[in-house]
Amino acid sequence: MSFQVNNNNRPPFPPPFAQQGPPGPQQGPPGPRPGPPPPGVVPRTPIGPPQGALGPPNAPPGRPSGPTPPFGVRPPGPPPPGAFSSAGPAPPPPGTRPGPFQSAPMNSGQVPPPSTGAPGPFSNGPPSGGVQGGPRFPSPVGMQRPVSGPPSLPSGPPSLPSMPPSAGMRPFSGGLAASPLPGPAPLAPSFASHSQGVPPPPLGSSAFSAPAQGPQFQVSPFGSQPWSMQQRQVAPPSAIPGAAPPPRMYNMPGPESAASISPAMSQGPSKIDPNQIPRPIPSSSVVLHETRQGNQANPPPSATTDYIVRDTGNCSPRYMRCTINQIPCTNDLLGTSGMQLALLVQPLALPHPSEEPIQVVDFGESGPVRCSRCKGYINPFMRFIDQGRRFICNLCGYTDETPREYHCNLGPDGRRRDADERPELCKGTVEFVATKEYMVRDPMPAVFFFLVDVSMNSLQTGATAAACSAISQVIADLPEGPRTMVGIATFDSTIHFYNLKRALQQPLMLIVPDIQDVYTPLQSDVIVQLSECRQHLELLLENIPTMFQNNKTADSAFGAAVKGAFLAMKSTGGKLMVFQSVLPSVGIGALSAREAEGRTNITAAEKEAHKLLQPADKILKTMAIEFAEYQVCVDVFITTQTYIDIASISVIPRTTGGQVYYYYPFSAVSDPAKLYNDLRWNITRPQGFEAVMRVRSSQGLQVQEYSGNFCKRIPTDVDLPAIDCDKTIMVTLKHDEKLQDGAECSFQCALLYTTVDGQRRIRVSTLSLPCTTILSNLFRSADLDTQFACFLKHAAIEIPSSPLLQIREQMTTLCINILHSYRKFCATVSSAGQLILPEALKLLPLYTLEITLDKSSLMLLHLQL
Amino acid sequence: MDFIELEAMEGLRWAWNSWPVSKSESNALVVPLSIMCTPLMQFNELPLLPYDPLVCNQCGAILNPYARVDYQSRIWVCPFCYKKNVFPRSYVGIGEDNIPAELFPTYSTVEYQLGSKGNLNLSHNWGSGSDVGLNQSNSLGSMNGSYSSGSLSGMDGRGGGGGVGTGPAFVFVLDGCSGEEELRALRNEILLVISQLPDNVLVGLIVFDSFVRVYDLGFTECLRVVLFNGERQVSSDETKQLLGIQNIKQQLGRPHATERQGFLLPLSECEFSLTAAIDDIRSLTHTMRAYRPQRCTGAAISVAVGLLEGCLVTTGSRIMVFTSGPATIGPGMIVNSDFVNAIRNHRDVDSGHATLYRKSCDFYKQISARLLASSIVLDLFACSLDQVGAAELRVPVERSGGFMMLGESFESDQFRKCLRHIFRHDDDGSLKMCFDATIDIVTTKDLKICGALGPCVSLQKKNGSVSDKEIGEGGTHMWKLGTLDNRTCIAFFFQVGSEQMPQPSSAFFIQFITCYRHGNMGIRKRVTTVARRWVGSQSADIDAGFDQEAAASVMARLAVQEAEKRYYPDVIRWLDTMLIRFASKFGDYVAEDPSSFRLASNFSLFPQFMYYLRRSQFIDVFNCSPDETAFFRLMLNREGVVGSVIMIQPTLFQYSFDGPPVPVLLDVCSISPDVILLFDSYFCVVIHYGSKIAQWKKLGYDKDPNHESFRKLLEAPEIDAEQLVADRFPVPKLVKCDQHSSQARFLLAKLNPSVTQNSTYSDGRELILTDDVSLQDFIEHLQTLAVQG
Repeated sequence: MSFQVNNNNRPPFPPPFAQQGPPGPQQGPPGPRPGPPPPGVVPRTPIGPPQGALGPPNAPPGRPSGPTPPFGVRPPGPPPPGAFSSAGPAPPPPGTRPGPFQSAPMNSGQVPPPSTGAPGPFSNGPPSGGVQGGPRFPSPVGMQRPVSGPPSLPSGPPSLPSMPPSAGMRPFSGGLAASPLPGPAPLAPSFASHSQGVPPPPLGSSAFSAPAQGPQFQVSPFGSQPWSMQQRQVAPPSAIPGAAPPPRMYNMPGPESAASISPAMSQGPSKIDPNQIPRPIPSSSVVLHETRQGNQANPPPSATTDYIVRDTGNCSPRYMRCTINQIPCTNDLLGTSGMQLALLVQPLALPHPSEEPIQVVDFGESGPVRCSRCKGYINPFMRFIDQGRRFICNLCGYTDETPREYHCNLGPDGRRRDADERPELCKGTVEFVATKEYMVRDPMPAVFFFLVDVSMNSLQTGATAAACSAISQVIADLPEGPRTMVGIATFDSTIHFYNLKRALQQPLMLIVPDIQDVYTPLQSDVIVQLSECRQHLELLLENIPTMFQNNKTADSAFGAAVKGAFLAMKSTGGKLMVFQSVLPSVGIGALSAREAEGRTNITAAEKEAHKLLQPADKILKTMAIEFAEYQVCVDVFITTQTYIDIASISVIPRTTGGQVYYYYPFSAVSDPAKLYNDLRWNITRPQGFEAVMRVRSSQGLQVQEYSGNFCKRIPTDVDLPAIDCDKTIMVTLKHDEKLQDGAECSFQCALLYTTVDGQRRIRVSTLSLPCTTILSNLFRSADLDTQFACFLKHAAIEIPSSPLLQIREQMTTLCINILHSYRKFCATVSSAGQLILPEALKLLPLYTLEITLDKSSLMLLHLQL
Repeated sequence: MDFIELEAMEGLRWAWNSWPVSKSESNALVVPLSIMCTPLMQFNELPLLPYDPLVCNQCGAILNPYARVDYQSRIWVCPFCYKKNVFPRSYVGIGEDNIPAELFPTYSTVEYQLGSKGNLNLSHNWGSGSDVGLNQSNSLGSMNGSYSSGSLSGMDGRGGGGGVGTGPAFVFVLDGCSGEEELRALRNEILLVISQLPDNVLVGLIVFDSFVRVYDLGFTECLRVVLFNGERQVSSDETKQLLGIQNIKQQLGRPHATERQGFLLPLSECEFSLTAAIDDIRSLTHTMRAYRPQRCTGAAISVAVGLLEGCLVTTGSRIMVFTSGPATIGPGMIVNSDFVNAIRNHRDVDSGHATLYRKSCDFYKQISARLLASSIVLDLFACSLDQVGAAELRVPVERSGGFMMLGESFESDQFRKCLRHIFRHDDDGSLKMCFDATIDIVTTKDLKICGALGPCVSLQKKNGSVSDKEIGEGGTHMWKLGTLDNRTCIAFFFQVGSEQMPQPSSAFFIQFITCYRHGNMGIRKRVTTVARRWVGSQSADIDAGFDQEAAASVMARLAVQEAEKRYYPDVIRWLDTMLIRFASKFGDYVAEDPSSFRLASNFSLFPQFMYYLRRSQFIDVFNCSPDETAFFRLMLNREGVVGSVIMIQPTLFQYSFDGPPVPVLLDVCSISPDVILLFDSYFCVVIHYGSKIAQWKKLGYDKDPNHESFRKLLEAPEIDAEQLVADRFPVPKLVKCDQHSSQARFLLAKLNPSVTQNSTYSDGRELILTDDVSLQDFIEHLQTLAVQG
């Protein structure tokens, strides 16, 4: 109600970011950019000058590295009047705000979008800092602390970056605290900066600038601000629920504050004071987080903060975090809470540079010690008994003999005496050297295959040249050595492979003309050790644009080309990077312009809009499954100026653990640099090949489903032709039986993969969390970021199959259910009009609102999943 | 009658030079009425007429010396159908003492250049023969130079007769699986050939291993190759589509009118990229141990055909396949690449165990039809120690008139000579090669044409003189040949018509009209008109007119044809039956008395030929691979009478101190320690040193000036052998061996085993370990059976 009113009063309010961004920051390439992107198409704000350079004048103080105090402090700077005046025709005077949040008003549908960067770019891969010459991956430090002023691009258009759902995906994407942060985070800054100004600042992207907060808000009736964030964030390590103030204290204003609210209420009981709406306040200070303290799991800091983890038994939250940091003992309890129980697993996540590297353990011939029943790997929570002769598996409860060579006596504390020397017994995350047993073949070499569109359009728009130059630059970054293999092919209506392994000067172009029934030259001709062909490759890449200069073929055989390249890589597997510029029109898996079809019948298109997000047919899916089977991961770089049916194309990267990069409309002026940067991050980031992942949990819980970009062949395992530091997988859990109160429940994620330099490794992350029967504990230990990421992922999965409206409603319902449950079972009685929020989830409504408002971001979600 | 002399005039060898008038009698002759015809025989005198021939309106025969000419009314009467034809205006000057060359009685063969600019000159005086240009040289194509001036002034050096800018097309199909050494030799050889090709020929390059790689010679940025999957059979249309040459409408003189394709280009335009591409070919083998290289010969040929089809070459084209191993994948494969599986042998083929054989043959039959439809010639150069699938490939090669060579290495002299032989030039630079030939036969009414055996294909054109009975390629009076050279010989079979009995001792005529595209791209028509007499029954002329060599070669071709259809014992039985019938018909004997049996001298060699034919590699496939058999049969099927007879019964010369070399019996008795034998079986020439000679040679007596005569003795056979080898094509294998050495098997296998391990008196002489019947036994049996009636 109140929201509605409020918002209705502000019709002209901020247009979505996408529109705002471009005109503001960079007038540079203004022309070609169309305003609102067509539905289904993801608009992209161009990379421009660092955001710091634009926006409100007082932006700098907001920078994380700046000396200014963290946002949470809310310096009493004068409010920039401008900001507010534009915030709406009638910014309600603070005084008139009604105190309580109404519990039911989240009628999201009509709320104008609070301008996030949602429709922002698919930010691909690496923090764009790289473009600016920022150090790339190996020295993430640089990125993390952008050198003062202008840099730190990422703070730019609050991109809903590659993985909106998981903040964890890009934890380092430049100046954590300051950056708008991926995922749910984008909201955060805007709120923070403008403090109570519910509407995000008109200036949009630059919003974070601290100054926005007006002192007047400080005097708001909610001045008590019991849920101010600083407190929690400043001292996360100690934020153990038990030690924290009673939960209720963090709830929305309790009765004790009613008095102060009343004036407001009297003024307009149906209104909500936007100032009272909780908003994320990023902390700029680095937090030190110990995963376990006092033999108890320590709830992780918010994903948006900058933290350094010390692995004291549980794995770092970067690798695995749970939606609730205490596990409900029964399914009923979980159901009552309305929350989801799920893990977000990011096995190769980038660590903070100050964190200790993961230790590699080599058990020699025998391989790592494992439970003989559930095959769980040895971890700090396995309990050794009987003088160390036997151990009890923390996952299945089975008692196993300790292998003789692994035997060690127990100390007085019941721990093994060597527990502290052995990483696998004291660290939440270790890497085991895989033995032959874990290999079906020799570890595969690192194969990089580039596939470039050279059809007429692609050449004319400069996409081919951009791709070639990006590849040419990037091969310099590929590791030298016999294990790095490269291959290249181009395609229009036929596929052209290149034989680079030749003593002679001229490269040999091998054309495969049959695009219905594709085949490929001998692998040994086409995929060559990089060291053998570097010069040839460079020369060739230089020549390709001119070689096809006069190409009059407008058709593109994308499906056939990908298939052809796959066949070439079939025996090894590897990464296939496709640069595609036009709608695949011929050959296997040819697509047609569905969008045009839809337009002829607008009403039908409206109704069936989500169908456009489904793949056109099953051919590409079938192909993709085959690719995954042979460990080929496909990344698609779409450099287009027209409709290209990403919904269909994206099936391939999605199934093979790849990624879609989208440059629309492609500009030969501004995009090549970005393309290069994305490509470089793609191949230089930490990654592994031919991976298999499985998550095990303690008895009583079991994995319900994995979701993410991978191939599902058997339900228990996740097959990933390639996995990199940016990939997150959501693992939903379900109860088998009742858990014991007070016990701990463990989750173990094991990722078997081949490193870039050809070693087979098993990365094992173990997380052990307490179980509880108390509902309020659940709410207290809820992990908002994770939870919301799960929401988003679920929504994204739904998008192609349900109308958007329905999904929005679902999201809202989810949020309401949680809040309702909290109110009903945990909160003390309060007035009916009051919205009561659990402290841990206080931002949930805000986030939910945000995501339901923005249509295109939801669409995007789907693609980025 | 000297048949060889006659052949030199007519280019024909008749099994029977006088034909009986009745059908029943002709059937009783056993050896059918047949003519071994060498259409493009080299003649000492061949008039080349620069105008179009005069054709009879009714039967299509061409004006010839046997036509009655009425000079007054300027009318000629066709000797075949008696139709009166009027001379056209260009023959206005014709008269008793001014007759054109085609009417000269001595010129049974003349050659016309069609569509030439030099038409018959109205005022031309044919007065004497010397006025007509004669081809005095032995070469096929260098006639242009020797013309008298005047009427031919309009012809250019390239030869009139429709000669145009674009030359024939050559597609080189190379086996990329050959070893590096082999490939190098092959590359060099092909580069050499290319450097000598005329500029106007079209060239294409295809390399195959498990893929077919078609080189785009028009692309200059880098080497560009279109890849076909060797395992798939691609239809003609698909090939064109995949190559992107579907819509080309290429016209004579206006090449590449619509779209540019780079796969088949005039040499002048692509010589650089072609040589670069050839230079670039490297051994593509990626074989695993215990596996044969993956070779898709069939697919490569199919693609090459598709390419030529797509380019609509009208000037004749050749696909030259160079391979060094069996086809192991795709259509036309003969064995799979696992060494566990052996390549099929005769027994497999006969027993039906060679499953791939049938499939492969069917595939090549299709190819063969496509080749014919587009007048493409397929050549196979196989240099391999193993079989390559020549047996399967024989059909398309033979029917397109192509050349086949089985060698052991591309580095061998044999290969080099063969390749260079094919690309011979004549004096004015055009290739000595002709394309797209047809042979038309016109006969008098009493004769019926049964068919032909040789590298030709029936065009199924029927008229009144085509018999219902078909022998070989029958049912037509016209045949097509992809290409032919001056040695190609075709056996034509005839039958006496049954309608009306011709008058004995009247003449009958046969005219052979061979139309072909000359190497200079002009179209030529060669016309040979011959006459023979009918003879009455029981006439001695029949016997006198028997040419036993021609008869033997005809029988050999028939036997080979039988052998294609039947099993070995059946063929032998068939041959024996024929021979017994022949012997009882022409022998002179008292019934039931074998000892009384005699054969006239002009029949006496025939049984011996048949004996050796039975033992020859053409019929007896023991010890030969199917590939070799196919090759031998293919060669026999196109070789003239002289060559055929050598193939059937090799010649053996003895060199000794006693005097000049003498021919000796092809018998094991001819082997003696103190003589040198020169053996010639056409495919193989053996110099066999008797054990004493060999020992002397070993001791180096030939270098001793005191033993000058020994040196000369050693030299003589070598010089002769070289001569034999030089003239022959494909180049035979030359073997020098000592008595009792392993290489002597080449000789021993062919000798008549008159002395074997079973002989009573061997007294130290050479013997052959065999159970084969010796010639003597064979003849004895024959006599016994023949006199039984």
